[in-house]
Amino acid sequence: MSTAPLGRVVATERRPNTPHEFHFWTALDAPIGIGTIVRAEGTVPVNNVVPTVYGVVTEAFGYTDLLSPLHDVLGHDGTPGSAAIAATHRTEIRLFTAAVLRQVPDEPLQPVPMGIVHLATDDDVAVALRMDGYIADGSRTAIPVGMYRSGGTESPIYLDADFLLGPEAAHLNITGVSGLATKTSAVEWLLQSLFAHFPTKKGTVASVCFNVKGPDLCYLDLPGELSDDDRALYDALGVPATPFQNVQYFAPYNAKGTALATLRSHDDLQHNVVPLTWGLEEVLQFAEVLLNKDDMDAKADALIDFIRERVIDREFTDALLKRPHRVRTFAELEEWFRELLIGIEGRGSGDSWRTHHVATIRKVRNRLTNISTRCAGLVTDDGAVSDLPFGTFEDRSVYVVDVAMLEEDAQDLIFARVVQKLREHLEKRNLGVDHVVVFVDELNKYAPGDGPETYVRKMLLDIAERGRYLGLVLFSAQQFRSQVHRRVVGNSGTALYGRMDADELATPGYAVLSPATRTKLATLDKGQLMVRHPHFTQPIFVRFPRPAVMRGRDGAERYPQAAEPSFEAAVLRELRRLDPSLTMAFVAEAVALHDTDEIVRAKNATLRARPADVESFFRGQFRTRVSARAAVAAPTAAALRPAPSDDPYGF
Amino acid sequence: MDASFRSAMRCVAGWAPGAGLGGDNGPSLERWSMGATEPPRLAASDVIEGHALRAHRIPGDPEPGFAGFLDGTQQSRVVHYHDGVPLVHATVAAVIRFRNERRLYTWTGRPDIERALYVPRNAVPEALWDHLVGEFGAVVDTTPRDDAGLERVHPFIHLERAMHTVQERREALEEALAARWCERERRPILVDGGIYRSDVVARSPWAVGVVKSHRTLYAEGDALARVLQLRRGERSSVVRVSRASGYRAPVASWYLRLRDPAGRDPMWGLVRVEAADPTTLSESAEQLTARADQVSRWVLAEVAPLALPDARWDKMVYPIRDCEEYLRAVG
Repeated sequence: MSTAPLGRVVATERRPNTPHEFHFWTALDAPIGIGTIVRAEGTVPVNNVVPTVYGVVTEAFGYTDLLSPLHDVLGHDGTPGSAAIAATHRTEIRLFTAAVLRQVPDEPLQPVPMGIVHLATDDDVAVALRMDGYIADGSRTAIPVGMYRSGGTESPIYLDADFLLGPEAAHLNITGVSGLATKTSAVEWLLQSLFAHFPTKKGTVASVCFNVKGPDLCYLDLPGELSDDDRALYDALGVPATPFQNVQYFAPYNAKGTALATLRSHDDLQHNVVPLTWGLEEVLQFAEVLLNKDDMDAKADALIDFIRERVIDREFTDALLKRPHRVRTFAELEEWFRELLIGIEGRGSGDSWRTHHVATIRKVRNRLTNISTRCAGLVTDDGAVSDLPFGTFEDRSVYVVDVAMLEEDAQDLIFARVVQKLREHLEKRNLGVDHVVVFVDELNKYAPGDGPETYVRKMLLDIAERGRYLGLVLFSAQQFRSQVHRRVVGNSGTALYGRMDADELATPGYAVLSPATRTKLATLDKGQLMVRHPHFTQPIFVRFPRPAVMRGRDGAERYPQAAEPSFEAAVLRELRRLDPSLTMAFVAEAVALHDTDEIVRAKNATLRARPADVESFFRGQFRTRVSARAAVAAPTAAALRPAPSDDPYGF
Repeated sequence: MDASFRSAMRCVAGWAPGAGLGGDNGPSLERWSMGATEPPRLAASDVIEGHALRAHRIPGDPEPGFAGFLDGTQQSRVVHYHDGVPLVHATVAAVIRFRNERRLYTWTGRPDIERALYVPRNAVPEALWDHLVGEFGAVVDTTPRDDAGLERVHPFIHLERAMHTVQERREALEEALAARWCERERRPILVDGGIYRSDVVARSPWAVGVVKSHRTLYAEGDALARVLQLRRGERSSVVRVSRASGYRAPVASWYLRLRDPAGRDPMWGLVRVEAADPTTLSESAEQLTARADQVSRWVLAEVAPLALPDARWDKMVYPIRDCEEYLRAVG
């Protein structure tokens, strides 16, 4: 479809056209602006083909024939209001600069020829952005990212799944100022789009999202409010305007162990919230995450390796120990350390045990046993494990790991272990799905460009650089892209930009953008993004709909966080997930008879076992106690005959 | 072969390969001849508004009234000197820009443009003349009909003669264009310069000429002093300007001060307006005064925006500058 001429290509010696940039002017009322895609048609055939050039407007100029502003002042006698009486408007120009998106034919690559400029049609947009290669039926790998709108043209913009989830390129990074709901909303929308359009022949896909702040990702399975415009966008882009169908939430307990540490604690939303708890074995693999550089010298590292390989979950005997130990919990580890140190001290000679200095042993004991305190709620003393369903991940499912209410150590530990487990399972091809999108917000915090090397940053770098071969894809977000590690953002094949902070835009990383594009970035509305994708030679502005899920703030208002329950109520609530008929009286009796630790241990064992008879199983977890009885008086011996006062010997 | 300057150069080069050509980097002849203007003079005129020439305050506020604006341009360059005789290429053009919603557009969608070689036929070999006519086509003879000895004169005389002929062509183009407007339109048009050359235009109630040059002042004695003392927003009484040399229709004319001349030369912001003679329109004295006031208000309405950076901005109205810029762009 051809459109009416919009402008004419112009070039001067001072401002010539090049193979990658051209200039054109338009009428004053032309519906065109920064980001508009245009088509310039040459007039002179080259190799018998009239060249067609597609470009995107990156800069705009307007000026009149005035040489000096002073002339206008003179013309109006210094009175601005008198401008209204001017019978004639000055000659004025709208001059635009466009960056070339594509030249057809591609060769020979010449400066953009003089010619007529048209607004790009729907088909033009597809050709200009090289989307024609992956939106065709039969080889379709297109994932809608948003709608391009300009001058009456509305065209869906697609990302190439091969360049979003691999294997060609992968990963996505989004940046933008906080508070406009752009970053989280864009990722939620894109996941919906991905789940709706990811080709079946490319395999299965799931997502693991780390909720790192507030209630952002806590209501992905609940419908949100959508405007008519949003629904129209969903229709046009072919994505169902429904919330995610299969979502599971994972959260550790709070430090007291009475409730899960998540804002999704409302009773009506508990059906898909699962505790996330790990024991000693799970944590010890990632001890490095929790130990700082000073802790992790070679000696400590060697001792931890020794414990991991020789002590954990093995029958361990030693001359210094009074009895064989099988360490499976932090409590048992503490007991092992205590007995070992007593043995070393009691031995009286030498400060080493099996080449490990006693000071090292004390330090490692201190650091390791301290983990269960620092990560209380996540790490259990008793070794109880409740984990993500590694091995049985389901296609088009979202697994939200809520770490928003945790301390930084615990967040790091969760991130490191979950990602490592995903990696291991993907390597073995037994995760349950072929691709996993890991969404991490606040990349400024987890993968900063400067600062000390951390385990989490190393893992993020590893995903960014090698994840695409495994199907492990990183969707990351941050406020300041310039402060994220270059290799993380550099390996993101696709980059999205919401409204940007002016200071951030002033950093060198944005120098490739024209001043007008930077200005537009600083003033983007909600729901607008600038997209960079390997197929697009220039950034493109798109509009995306509000995600069809309940916003965090709305969810928090509609489903307020449950008040922190009493210990009894917390236990009852957990057990009622297995047997709703349980009563408070039943729990109260247990609480009256047993210690808190015992009750928690019994509850966790019950939840793990999921027995048919919850009540009996729960009771069976406690050590039998003998009821108190009144003490029976001991038989007394017969009193001795008193000795005569005059016979001291008793004769 | 088109009639462009480069085509003219190629044509001449075909006649004399290796001959030095003028090229297009030198100044145009119009710049070269800037100092060669007619001598200043005073001319008598008849006052037709009242009995003596006096200053009139224009009543009312300026009001836009013109729908069209006409101007022409010329550009001449020497292509080649053949034995000292210049072969001049010139482009003459005229355009009417009409106003709609305070924006200017080209009337009929295009300007009138003529390109030609200007050559004194009797001063160049017959073979060269034939070559130019045969190859280039558009060749104008600059030889005066009554001058038989022009073949051996100062080359500048040839140049001045060529310039004069080019100017005549440009004026003819302007007159024809103005006449077309007057025949087709029923809206006022402002013509840059006088309107006396065309009978149709001079008699039209829609044509108004605005003259910026004052080499000839149509006032003498006390009348001259009153003209030079006009203040901003004042006009002189209307006079009748008649020209003896073949122009049949006289025109009504008056001086109008567009800008405050304080501290400047007496001609600052002074223009002379030409319009149809009242006898042509069968006007009464009152109607003439009313028309002079109205046309003056129309002209005063054009003082903004300024025609800067043109050096004549004090007298030039912006749409006339727009005409010149337009012709410069398309020429």
